Amino acid sequence: MPDFNVRSDAVNVEQIMEQIRARIREKRGVDYTDAEIRELASVKLEKFLDPRGVRSDLLEQFRKSQPPYAPPELPNFAFEDQTLFESTRGPLRFIRRLLLPILKLFFNPNPLIKALNIQSKLNASLAEREAKRDAARYAFDQLYYEVMHNLVLETTRLGIEVKNLKMRIESLASRLEFNERRARALESAVVYKPSGEEKTGRSEETRREERRDDRRDEPRRQDGRRQERQDRQERGERQDRGDRQDRQDRSDRSEPSRPAPPAAAPAAPAATAVAPPDAESPASDASQAGTSTEGPGQRSRRRRRRRGRRGSGSAAAIMGGAAGSADGGPDNGGEGEDAGDDTDASDTDVTPDTTSAPAAPAAQPAVAVTDAPVADTAAVPDVRVTRPEPFEHAFGAQAHPAESAASDPAQPAPAPESTSAQGSDTPAPAGSDPASTPEP
Amino acid sequence: MKVAVVVQRYGPAINGGAELHARYVAEHLARHAEVEVWTTCATDYVTWRNELQAGEDRVNKVVVRRFPVKHERDPLTFGRLSERVFHQPHSIADELDWLEAEGPTSPALVAHITKHAGEFDFCIFFSYRYYHAFHGARAAGTKAILVPTAERDPAAGLSIFAPIFRGVRALMYNSPEERTMIQALAHNEQVPSVVVGIGSEVPPNPQPQRFRQKYGIRGPFAIYVGRIDENKGCRDLFRHFDSYLRNGAGKLTLVLIGNSILDIPKHPRIRHLGFVDDSDKFDGIAAADVLIMPSFFESLSMVALEAWALGKPVLANAKCDVLKGQCIRSNAGLYYDSTAEFVETLRALEFNKWVAGSLGKNGRQYYRDNYDWPVIERKYLDMLERLSKEPASGGFEPLPGWMERRKESCPPAADAVAATPSGPSTAPEMTLPRPTGPVSPPLPKRAPVPERHDPPKGRPHQGRPQQSAPHRNQGHRGRRPSGRSTGASR
Repeated sequence: MPDFNVRSDAVNVEQIMEQIRARIREKRGVDYTDAEIRELASVKLEKFLDPRGVRSDLLEQFRKSQPPYAPPELPNFAFEDQTLFESTRGPLRFIRRLLLPILKLFFNPNPLIKALNIQSKLNASLAEREAKRDAARYAFDQLYYEVMHNLVLETTRLGIEVKNLKMRIESLASRLEFNERRARALESAVVYKPSGEEKTGRSEETRREERRDDRRDEPRRQDGRRQERQDRQERGERQDRGDRQDRQDRSDRSEPSRPAPPAAAPAAPAATAVAPPDAESPASDASQAGTSTEGPGQRSRRRRRRRGRRGSGSAAAIMGGAAGSADGGPDNGGEGEDAGDDTDASDTDVTPDTTSAPAAPAAQPAVAVTDAPVADTAAVPDVRVTRPEPFEHAFGAQAHPAESAASDPAQPAPAPESTSAQGSDTPAPAGSDPASTPEP
Repeated sequence: MKVAVVVQRYGPAINGGAELHARYVAEHLARHAEVEVWTTCATDYVTWRNELQAGEDRVNKVVVRRFPVKHERDPLTFGRLSERVFHQPHSIADELDWLEAEGPTSPALVAHITKHAGEFDFCIFFSYRYYHAFHGARAAGTKAILVPTAERDPAAGLSIFAPIFRGVRALMYNSPEERTMIQALAHNEQVPSVVVGIGSEVPPNPQPQRFRQKYGIRGPFAIYVGRIDENKGCRDLFRHFDSYLRNGAGKLTLVLIGNSILDIPKHPRIRHLGFVDDSDKFDGIAAADVLIMPSFFESLSMVALEAWALGKPVLANAKCDVLKGQCIRSNAGLYYDSTAEFVETLRALEFNKWVAGSLGKNGRQYYRDNYDWPVIERKYLDMLERLSKEPASGGFEPLPGWMERRKESCPPAADAVAATPSGPSTAPEMTLPRPTGPVSPPLPKRAPVPERHDPPKGRPHQGRPQQSAPHRNQGHRGRRPSGRSTGASR
C-alpha cells in the first residue's frame, strides 16, 4: 500500500478520501458505483446471439396473439318499398296501407324509399368488399409473420455462425502465431543434423576414398617398413627394447580399442544405421554393447574424451596440416618415411576429426593403419552426426568459433591455425606413441 | 433548580442510545440541580411490556418515578400504520394512531407531567418520536426542553412533530446534521437550540492487553460495538469485510461486541464476543486498530465518540450524514460509500500507521473539545440559565379539530424527509472554551499532551527518539513510532 501524500500533523480526511477514491478509480478505470456495477453485471451480453433467447415458436406466438379472422359484422338494414309500412301486427299493417294514399297527399315517399334501398345495397356491397380486403390482409399478415420469423431465425443463426467463425479465426491465428514462434525457436536452437541416407552415402564414399588411399599408400608404407627394418638391424641393441616397446605399445593400442567403442558410442544410433554390413568388428560390437550398457561414468568419460578429441581435432588438423606442409601436402606422395611413426601416430589420433573434416584428406590414409580400420572408419563419420550434449546444443551455435565446426558438420572445418595452441596442448592418447605403427 | 428528565425507559441495565444519553445527562445534571427522572415500567423497546415496578426508585442517587404502560405494542398494527404514514398520503388522525401504536402509551406518565411539571423549572424530554415526548411536552408546556435524538428516518417527517419542534422552549441537538434536518422540517429556527451531544464515561486507563489475553485475540483487529443487526448496517459490514479478506494483504480481524440478531459469517478472522461489560468494551476499543461504524442512521454515535476519546480512528458509513460529518469535522475518521472504498479505507488505516495515529489524535482532541463531560455540562447549564432568564413565548400550537384531523392532507413522511437537505455539515462546530474551573466533580486526571518537538530541520532523524518522544507517543499505547509506521507501509 503506497503511503499517502499527507505530510503534516493536520491530516485532512477529505484529502485522504480523495486520494483513496483516485486510487479506486485507477484500479477500476471508471468510478462506477456498486449499484451501477451490479446493473452492468446483470445485463446479458449479446443476448441476440444467444440461441436460448430465440423463440422458435415465434409464428405460433403471433398466431396465438391474434384471434382467427372473422369478418366484421357491420350494421346494415334492408330497405324495401314496404319496409316503412310493415308491422308485426296485422290490423296496424292494414290501417297503414289503407291510409297510404292520404299520406301520399302530403309528400311522396317513393324517392326516400328508393334512396334508402340503394343505400342499403351499397352498404352490403361495401361490407362485403371490406371483408374480402381484411381477409386478404390477414392472410398477408400471416405471410409477413412467417417471413419475419424466418428472418429472425436466419439472422440469429448467421450471427451465431459469424461468432463461431470469428472464434475459429482467432483460434487459428493464435495457433499460427504459436507455430511461427515455435519454428523460430527451433530454427535458432536446432543444429543441422544430416539424414541417414546422407550419412550412409558420405561414410561409404569416405570408406571408398580411404581404401583407395590405402592402396595408393601401400607401396610407400612398405618402403617405410623396409627402411625401419634396416634401421633396427643397424641399431641392434635397440631392437629388443623396441620390441618390448612395441609389445607395450601393442598393448596400449589394444587399449584404444576399448575407448574406441565409447568414441563411437554417442553415434551409436547413427552408426548402426550407417555401419556397413561388413563392419562387424569387435569395436562395433563393443560400441553397440556400449550403447546398451553405458553408465553415467561412461557417458561423462565419453563426453570428456569428445571434448578432448574436439580440442585434439584441431591439434590433429594442425599436425596434419603441418605434416602436410612438411610432406608437401596430403596429395604429395613423397612424405618422408622417417616421419612414419609420428605421422602414423598423429593420424591415428586424429582419425575421427580429420575424417569429420572434409578438407582434411591427409589424415585419411592413416585410418587404414589403425588396428581396427573398418570399425574405426565406420565410427569415424559418426562423429559428425554425433550431436553434442544438450548444453552443447545450447552453446554450440554461439559459444566458441572453434566449436562451430565440431558442432555443425555443415560448416567447413575451421582453420587449423586458429586452434593450434589448444591442439598442441591436448595429449594424444595412443596415436602419439611412435610405436603405434603395426609390426611389419 | 429542579429538573425533570422524561424518557421512555430508564435503568442501569438499559443501554439504548437515547436512554443511556438520558441517564448520563440526568446523573451529571444531578450534581448541579435537583433531578428527577420520569419514565415507564418498560425495559423492552419492542414490546413495552411493564417489567419494572411502578413507583419511585433511585438509580445512582437519582430519583426515578416509573409509570405503567397502558398496552403493549402490537407489531402488526404498528407495521401497517407505519406503512401508511411513511409512504402514503394520510391524515393527522393516522399519525396519532401510529404514535399510539408505537408506544410506550402511558397516560399515567402524561397525567403526572401535567400535574407536577409546574413544580419543576424544566422538563427535559428525550426522543421526540415516542408517546411520552409528544404528549408529555404538550403537558409540560413552556417548561419542555427537547433532546430530539432524531435520525434521518421517515418518522421525523410526520406532521404531528413539527408543532412540537416549534413549541418547546429549547432543543438540545446531537449534531449539526440533526439540527439542519429538523429546522428544514419544522422551520423552528427561532427556538433556542444548541448542538450538545453527549459525553461518555471513558476510563482513564484502559487495559488493551488484558482484553487480548482475556479473549485470546492476537494481531491487529478492527472492532464493531453495538447491536449486530441489519438495521445497523451489519450485513453490509460483513459483505464489505469479506471483500477485504478476499483482497488479501490485510491482516485485520473483525471483532464484534454486542448481542446478535443476525447470522454472523463463520470465518476465523471474524470474532463475535457477545455482550461484554463496559470495562471490556473500552479495553477492546483501546486494543483495536480501528472502530467500524456501519450504521446508516445515527443521531450521534456514542461508540464513535468513545473510540475517539481513546485515540482510535473511526471508519464510518458515509451514507450516515451524521457520522460522515463528524469524521470530516473532527479529521478523525474515514468513511466509505462502497465495498471498494471500505476495503481501501480499511487498508489505508491498517497500513498507514501514521495516518491512523494522526486521526486518533485528532479524535481525542475533538472529543475533548466537544464531548467531554465538562463541556456537555457547561452547555446544558448555560442553556438552562439562558432559558430561566428569558420569558417563555409561544407555546404549542393546538391540535387540529376532529374534522381537520381526518383530512388526508399530510404527505408521506418519507417524502418529507427526503426533501430536506442532506449531506454532512462541514462547518466547524462552535466549541465553548473549556471550563477553567471544575464544572462537575473533578474527573480523573489525564496525562497532559506535550507539545510536539520537531527535530531540527536539515538533520535526518537519528532513529532513536529524543527524550520527549516517548511522551509524545504515550497516547498510542503499543504503537510504533510514526516514522517506523510509515516506513512499514511501503
